[in-house]
Amino acid sequence: MATLNQAKTSKATKGRQKIQIKKLENESSRQVTFSKRRNGLFKKASELCVLCGANIGIIVFSPKGKPFCFGHPNVDAILDRYFSENPLKDNGSATSNTVAVPCFEEFNKECHETMEKLEVEKKRTKEIEKENEEKKNKGEFWWDDPIDNNMGIEELESYVKAMEELRNNVAGRANVLMGDVFAATSATTVANPSGLVNGFTAQNSGFAVGESSGYGDFGLGIEGFNFGHAPDFDY
Amino acid sequence: MARNRVKLAYIANDAARKASYNKRKKGLLKKVNELSTLCGVDACAVIYSSTCNSQPEAWPSTAAAYRMLSDFKTLPAAEQSNRAMTQESLIKQQIAKAEEGLKKVHEENRRMELTQIMFQILDGRGLNTVKKEDLIDLSMLIEQNLKGIDIRLQMLNESYVL
Repeated sequence: MATLNQAKTSKATKGRQKIQIKKLENESSRQVTFSKRRNGLFKKASELCVLCGANIGIIVFSPKGKPFCFGHPNVDAILDRYFSENPLKDNGSATSNTVAVPCFEEFNKECHETMEKLEVEKKRTKEIEKENEEKKNKGEFWWDDPIDNNMGIEELESYVKAMEELRNNVAGRANVLMGDVFAATSATTVANPSGLVNGFTAQNSGFAVGESSGYGDFGLGIEGFNFGHAPDFDY
Repeated sequence: MARNRVKLAYIANDAARKASYNKRKKGLLKKVNELSTLCGVDACAVIYSSTCNSQPEAWPSTAAAYRMLSDFKTLPAAEQSNRAMTQESLIKQQIAKAEEGLKKVHEENRRMELTQIMFQILDGRGLNTVKKEDLIDLSMLIEQNLKGIDIRLQMLNESYVL
């Protein structure tokens, strides 16, 4: 499927590969594998504990010799149990199981909800990409990327003009909407007691955000793109 | 093999739970072994089943596990707890990761949506049809684009001169 972003047409990674179970040659592979598998291992152990009511302790040492451990209900409890001469009675283990569970349920729910939100956003991404494809095919006004690597100097300069004009229009419209809170001409940041949106400076345009709109930080770095978020999302 | 998503809750049915326990325990120990071998590190596991409360199952062997656990216990308390994980911390980690991923995708979607709006406006859509919140974010997108173009132009001019 042709997509907007050229990079997406080639795969990011090779995917699952079957490997031999013997010590890895490459030291950094060992470290990476260790981190990933350790996490997966602890996750599996945790599942076994929840599903089957087991109590588990695992200790692994990193390639650098640092100890990592997992314990359900917790590492100390397992160690105590292990080193005690008498194995714990039935009641003991049962109660320690039930203590852990309620907490887990709530977290698990939160995790699921977040995962579902993620799915929704991913679907939205596909929708948007599809819309863009259709626009391109219809021959509507569209560039692959606002800052296309193929644009020559002339194209870029006319793009700049279009952007600057747009900026002024948007500023003008915003001024109309937001009323007299704005400075009319060359204002930069406006001090606002109710809390100005951080980091937002409009250099040449005629407005700054004057009212608290409930948005978070705005970063103007090119690499990061931090937008105010729609009202129904909270992070 | 049927891959039904199992709900992460205690399996009430005794037989099903026992079967799951055996299967998963086997798989878990296999994974511990793989981790140990692939990375050339020491590892041990101690498993108490919910039913029989006598001796736990220990891997790689009772003796080796005993040695490792003893060594571990002699470590300073900070060393022990620093990198300790419980179910709770694992899930918290998962939640954090999921939220970060969500944020990224959401921001990218927002950027794409705004770009759509921007091109619609350039194509003739009226500014009065644009919502207030979108206007604000749109102006930021424009600033970002202008900066990016500026950088790009600088680059091109430099290489041209050279």
